[in-house]
Amino acid sequence: MKHTWRFWAALWAGKIITKGLLVSGKKGTTLPGKIANMIDPEIMRHLSVAYSDGIIMITGTNGKTTTANLLASIIRQSGEEFAFNQAGANLLTGITGALIQNTRWNGISRAKLALLEVDEATVPKFCEQVSPTLAIVTNFFRDQLDRYGELDTTVRMVRESIPKETVLVLNADDPLVAQFGTDQTEVIYYGVERTPDSQSESEETREARFCPTCGTELDYTLFHYGQLGIFKCLGCGFHRPEPEILAQSVRLQDGLLLFEVGETPFSLLLQGYYNLYNALAALTAARQLGINDGMIESGLRGFIPQAGRMERFHLPEGEITLTLVKNPTGFDQVIQTMLGVNKPLRIFIGINDLAADGRDISWLWDVNFERLGMHEDNISHVICTGLRAEDMALRLKYAGVSVEKLVIEHSLSEALNRLQASRTVEEVAFICPTYTLLFPLRELLESRQQNTELSQAETKWAERGAAK
Amino acid sequence: MKLNICHLYPDLLDLYGDRGNILALAARCRWRGIEPVIQKASLGEDLDFMGMDILFLGGGSDREQSLLVQDLMRREKELRNAIENGLVVLAICGGFQMLGSYYQMANGKKLQFLGIIDLWTIAGAKRLIGNVVVEADKSTLVGFENHSGKTYLGEGVMPLGKVLFGNGNNGDDLQEGVRYRNVFGTYLHGPLLPKNPHFADLLLELAIQRRGLDTHLLELDDSLEELAHDTMVKKIMK
Repeated sequence: MKHTWRFWAALWAGKIITKGLLVSGKKGTTLPGKIANMIDPEIMRHLSVAYSDGIIMITGTNGKTTTANLLASIIRQSGEEFAFNQAGANLLTGITGALIQNTRWNGISRAKLALLEVDEATVPKFCEQVSPTLAIVTNFFRDQLDRYGELDTTVRMVRESIPKETVLVLNADDPLVAQFGTDQTEVIYYGVERTPDSQSESEETREARFCPTCGTELDYTLFHYGQLGIFKCLGCGFHRPEPEILAQSVRLQDGLLLFEVGETPFSLLLQGYYNLYNALAALTAARQLGINDGMIESGLRGFIPQAGRMERFHLPEGEITLTLVKNPTGFDQVIQTMLGVNKPLRIFIGINDLAADGRDISWLWDVNFERLGMHEDNISHVICTGLRAEDMALRLKYAGVSVEKLVIEHSLSEALNRLQASRTVEEVAFICPTYTLLFPLRELLESRQQNTELSQAETKWAERGAAK
Repeated sequence: MKLNICHLYPDLLDLYGDRGNILALAARCRWRGIEPVIQKASLGEDLDFMGMDILFLGGGSDREQSLLVQDLMRREKELRNAIENGLVVLAICGGFQMLGSYYQMANGKKLQFLGIIDLWTIAGAKRLIGNVVVEADKSTLVGFENHSGKTYLGEGVMPLGKVLFGNGNNGDDLQEGVRYRNVFGTYLHGPLLPKNPHFADLLLELAIQRRGLDTHLLELDDSLEELAHDTMVKKIMK
């Protein structure tokens, strides 16, 4: 494809802004993407042709980010370079920004593979310019934005906009997703046989009580969660497709989610059976990329140790960085990072003393919290939580942090509220939990982050409107 | 007013956050307008035990402890004199063991120690690890123990307190630590002093007393210290 002068202007403008943001200590793909799209509304089309190994699109209501991160973890095992948009940057501007970052000044792409999380309402606009090699559709749930019928519109628009030649990786257990397979050339389904929580009756509100094809009420033999399960339509015969990738022997053990696909056992350091679906989606896509089961297994298994390391969450009151702390050296590095930001700080420290955290918390006294004491003018308050919240607060008192700035709050949810309450724009917030607090906090942050996706509503609905 | 606090072998005996004890002593001096003079001393350095107000000996790994036993043996007489003179000593874990007469290893060989207090330690088969609550002087001490040596006190030697939860000196006789003149030996890490402020103040009081000064210490707001102490005691004794 011959690039136009508009393309070069847009690419270079995008790259200059990215550089400028980096110099001023910011990371961002949205602004460069926005400007580049203004200069050349077709820039994504031009950028996307470089990905000869493929473009993988991940969409759906829930689990996009986790699925993308799991797949990224697997692909890293295989050693292949890939372009990747970070969580929260799943609208056109963010995706464009990510592709610009991966493209050199001379227009040549650094990687040949792209892994892109795309907001479901953005799929039509995205697919106008980009033809994904493979599309993962996770699930469709009603979010608070949805008025009557909106979900159906979203589902229909996503379905109609994905090119016929795109290979679909579909959740067989979600009728709203499974229906996509009927009009596509190549489809791979993933699904779950049963989880320990699967039930034959469900009281939960289901999105797909009725057959998406003929409107007859669906008949379920098993519910996994929400409308996900083993279903069939007594009217038209539409039924849960037989998954090629089927998770069996699903169980939780010692904080690990264990399952088998065929003869191969997999383990995941994530909790919640919804994450099983995310893992299955990533696994299915990875196999499609020709990655062997050994690498998939270690990519999935190695996932959490990556998460919770300076992981960012976008909440309505401001961004939060979550980072695991477990020993003095690591904690000292985190303190260095926090102070290095050189901005007013809000800090949340969670200390548990369960076996996985270490029963002995005396290591806290080997951490150089005195540095926080020295810079306490820069710290609005420190919230201490966890089973050893009092010990943590005491440690900070002796490190020279004023007692008035110390808050002991045992409820995680309330502690998070305190962290975020009346935050100013320039304040930076960090959450530092020990191991067993990491999971509940991630879950809490993810749920609040999902709610904030609602606050992106304007952009989202504007894009949807434009796509109509 | 100044108080001379010596942290002996901080480079070798630095396990389990024991430096928190020094931080606690120093802060509790400062908050009362007393200037803490902290001396960190290691192998071969000149030491004036008599001029110190408080001596702190922490715990270390076996390998590091054997390095410093020789250094300490060289100073045995001066240390003994200072202790008889009322020097306040806090010795934790390995430091506590070294005040005794020997450590009997698993193969039966005895490692000679200072012998200042009539106590001895025998290598145990399993490590004694966990939270400890001790009743001492009508109040409680809370901490965390992690040792394999089992320490026994000689006839008439006073323990620091009685074990309410955990193992203490040896897991057999409900005794924890030792009190000899102004010397306190214990297995409690945690560290000990921040969460047991009454005990930290006892050491400061004794040190000031030894100087022949007014022993009245200014009251501090210890509500956070007491909260941390009480929360753990309640949790452990539940």
